[in-house]
Amino acid sequence: MSVLARSVGNAFRNKVRTAAVVAVLAVAIGLALAMLVANQAVTGKVAELNASVGTVLTVNPAGGQGFEGGGEPLTSAQAATAAAVPNVSSVVGTKALRLRNAAQIAAEAASGRTGQGGPGGQSATSVTTSLTAAVDAGTLGNRNQASTGTSGTSGSTTAAAPAFSLPITATGIGAGVDSTGKALQLTQGTGLGNYTAASTGALLGTTLATKNGLSVGSTFTIQDKTFTVQGLFDAGTAFGNNALYVTLPTAQTLAALPDELSTMIVTVNSMENVDAAKTALQAALGSGKADVTQGQRNLATAVSSLDSVKNISFIAFVAALGTAGLIILLIMVMLVRERRREIGVLKAIGAPNRTIGLQFVLEALVLVALGSVVGAAVASLASGGIASALISSSSTTAAAGQRGGPGGFPGGQGGPFGGASQLLTSVTASASPGVIAAGIAAVFGVAIIGALVPALLTARIRPIEVLRGE
Amino acid sequence: MIEVKNLVRTFKSGDRSIKPVNDVSFELEQGTLASIVGKSGSGKSTLLSLLGALDKPTSGDVVVNGVSLASMPDGKLTNYRRRDIGFVFQQFNLIPNLSAVDNVMLPMEFAGMRKAARAERARQLLEQVQLDPDKHVRRINRLSGGEQQRVAIARALANEPKLILADEPTGNLDEQTGEHIIELLSTLSRDHNTTILVVTHDRALANKTDRRFRLQQGRLTEEPARNRATAAVTG
Ligand SMILES: Nc1ncnc2c1ncn2[C@@H]1O[C@H](COP(=O)(O)OP(=O)(O)O)[C@@H](O)[C@H]1O
Ligand SMILES: [Mg+2]
Repeated sequence: MSVLARSVGNAFRNKVRTAAVVAVLAVAIGLALAMLVANQAVTGKVAELNASVGTVLTVNPAGGQGFEGGGEPLTSAQAATAAAVPNVSSVVGTKALRLRNAAQIAAEAASGRTGQGGPGGQSATSVTTSLTAAVDAGTLGNRNQASTGTSGTSGSTTAAAPAFSLPITATGIGAGVDSTGKALQLTQGTGLGNYTAASTGALLGTTLATKNGLSVGSTFTIQDKTFTVQGLFDAGTAFGNNALYVTLPTAQTLAALPDELSTMIVTVNSMENVDAAKTALQAALGSGKADVTQGQRNLATAVSSLDSVKNISFIAFVAALGTAGLIILLIMVMLVRERRREIGVLKAIGAPNRTIGLQFVLEALVLVALGSVVGAAVASLASGGIASALISSSSTTAAAGQRGGPGGFPGGQGGPFGGASQLLTSVTASASPGVIAAGIAAVFGVAIIGALVPALLTARIRPIEVLRGE
Repeated sequence: MIEVKNLVRTFKSGDRSIKPVNDVSFELEQGTLASIVGKSGSGKSTLLSLLGALDKPTSGDVVVNGVSLASMPDGKLTNYRRRDIGFVFQQFNLIPNLSAVDNVMLPMEFAGMRKAARAERARQLLEQVQLDPDKHVRRINRLSGGEQQRVAIARALANEPKLILADEPTGNLDEQTGEHIIELLSTLSRDHNTTILVVTHDRALANKTDRRFRLQQGRLTEEPARNRATAAVTG
């Protein structure tokens, strides 16, 4: 029989009481773990938002956005200027191109619908491709097409006119991010490697690839040049997936505009510096030359509400942890008082203080271990519910704040960023083993502290206690 | 050899103070079987607790084989209780949720003896105190009073102490069982040269010991020496 075996035995001496103590501990530990899991999930989300969207500024040419508007294009020199602004951690240039199916253009030309004049703005040239758009023009596409005005002849409304097909957006990017600064979600293949060098690799949206029967390793042409599919991405929207990415120099070459940028995606080093950096950036580039927008103003609200969830869950974690420690402390103090005489016996037969103290600490740890097992089970069932309850109560505020925010993004990509509430509900509180392990380690730490006080109390019990009541 | 020198223990309760042990001095040679008789409340348990370092005297000293308890720090006193003393109590004071063997093994565990060795020795000791082998692994609270006291004596012997202090070891037992226990202690002192000091109410039991002391209101007096062999014949 060792100290440990004796402690385990003692922990089960009064089975009813042990069950009650374990149940109470399990509630406290389960709550602590659930709060920790919720906190980790929200912290992860906040970090993710801050790292990408929350700290991203978009620079457009003054007076222009995407393929709309006018003004002077941005240049590589301006990108260098932007990079030198304090608190700017990265500047990624993009160059957007409109790709049109070569066969389609030929057919339209033949039917009298001459090549699309373009809606003005920066995309001076339409670029031909072997790809077919993954989105049908439909009512909206045809209406847009009519209003932006083809310079077709008056007799162009012939019945034989082929259906108009939408262009495909090709974006040259200076890093593995989409046009809003978010990392590309590749579903297959790899990235393009060095995004600042010319390359014949391309990343295709999933639906575009499917429409054209392409997979990783397939080839297609842009402007009669052959490109290889190096990866597929999922932007999450039909519009976003009817697009492809090439490296920035490649796009500039295709457009024959080597120094031009459509937009710059400027990432600021932290959330707090975004406002200051925006002002500085606007000043550095000149208000007549560039428009600096913080696309995700609404996300600031989202992040701050997530931050409060983070704080609440952390406080709840600490409180539940403290409760578990307190339960241990009180139970062990009670046990020490109850076993005063027995401790006296142990001392009378020569037990060193540390042996007795250790025996009580181990007994407390046995109770905590049982409480943790039950508590972890409770937490893994409850944490998802707790996290979403915490978040849904705060996302109402965030969603309300979002309505006042600016509209869509260049290219009309409002979708993935339109909903801060969408981001909030996508916080998944899964009980990851690492977090649970860290939580249980914290529980054990607190339990040892809680058990140390009663263990030290045993040192003060004198061996003469053995004679009490004789 | 144990020397008790002018031992005093004072308890204060309110403005009154009592001296259950009042200037007690005596010496015991190694291997002596001695008894203390006295009325309830005369200070017998208090004296024994001072000899066994369960309590500290208000003044005076106990010297065991030339080493003074008064000068020992607490850690050394723990060692003294573990190695040099075996205590047997009226209430047995065994750990109720452990088996007989586990109880006997406890002092050996505290002394750092290896597990196999202490299990073996515990078994031998329980045989020596004549506990049925099938009761060795039985939980203490499933044993009779006499059996529990045998286990307690085995535990007291665990680390081969020089001095066994027995505080009314037969007080909770019937007459016959009590006699067996005293005989057991008597045999032990003879066979192992262990000094045994036994507190008892029972005159007949006291008469079987080598030296007999009487404690009255904290003061110790010795009754005329008797030869143990004579005691056995007349007793
Ligand atoms: N811790 C204590 N505090 C106060 N008085 C005590 C304490 N322990 C014992 N006494 C008193 O000392 C006297 C002797 O007690 P004790 O040694 O137990 O007597 P005995 O064992 O001979 O019956 C009693 O009056 C008892 O009440
Ligand atoms: Mg007594």
